[in-house]
Amino acid sequence: MVEVTPESASRGPVIWPRDPEFGSASAGKIGMWIFLISDALSFAGLLIAYGILRGGSAVWRHPGEPALGINFTAGLTFLLICSSVTMVLAYAAATEGRRRQAAAWLALTALGGILFLTGQYHEYFGIWHPGLSREGLVFGQSAYASTFYVITSFHGAHVFSGTVYILVTLAQWLRGRTDAAHVELLGLFWHFVDLIWILVFTFVYLIP
Amino acid sequence: MARAPRTQYLAVFLLLAVLTALEVGVVYLPGIAKSPMVLALVGLALAKASLVGLFFMHLRHETRALKLTVAVPLMTPGLYALVLVAEAGWRLLP
Repeated sequence: MVEVTPESASRGPVIWPRDPEFGSASAGKIGMWIFLISDALSFAGLLIAYGILRGGSAVWRHPGEPALGINFTAGLTFLLICSSVTMVLAYAAATEGRRRQAAAWLALTALGGILFLTGQYHEYFGIWHPGLSREGLVFGQSAYASTFYVITSFHGAHVFSGTVYILVTLAQWLRGRTDAAHVELLGLFWHFVDLIWILVFTFVYLIP
Repeated sequence: MARAPRTQYLAVFLLLAVLTALEVGVVYLPGIAKSPMVLALVGLALAKASLVGLFFMHLRHETRALKLTVAVPLMTPGLYALVLVAEAGWRLLP
């Protein structure tokens, strides 16, 4: 790593000078926040489109289309909240230099992501009982079905990429190739996934 | 680097769990009208999202500049949604 100068800026990794306006936040952290803001605006676009379509339709759920399962999804919401806690505990352990403890919390967080994705697969396609797609909620058949699948699968893609991100960071952590600052950036992304789900759960599942 | 005590993380976790249970409770509340239900659900969701942002994402401990960098862009879709709701309400007027 070298100090940034006009000559060195084009030669790979540099220590970007901290901006006093942003306190101790690193350039990586500010960059992650800006990425999350742009991602949040993508979700906002989807949720606003959902609201416009739903508000403008005389019949939202057509006969034969199943209602969404609130209790099961509340369980998935609780699961994501639990995984957010394990992520902050991983970060706390990482800042204290407790490497094995941090690795264990990261592994538990990844498990939370995997369980959430399994739950979403079950909701769509069914594992121990028929899923929504077999119960009559077919993508493209109605705005109700299409908006449901687009919004929840877009979120599911974030859970998937977040889980992969956790597993890659965990592997690097175990090899001693990463530090607490990177765990913090990973945590920002994972908590964002949880935060967005809180809104999706309310607007798509709970509001009648 | 911002970090809060573990007890605070656990307190926020319990609060989030209680708010989630409240959300489900509101949906199953017998006889509740649609408008207060929607208001309660949106309020609970915003409270939960704020808890995650402030405590788990440590926004509470960041500088004013970073807080504004995050909050101002995120207010714009909220404002747009409010305009849409107001416009829909206006169209319903006799």
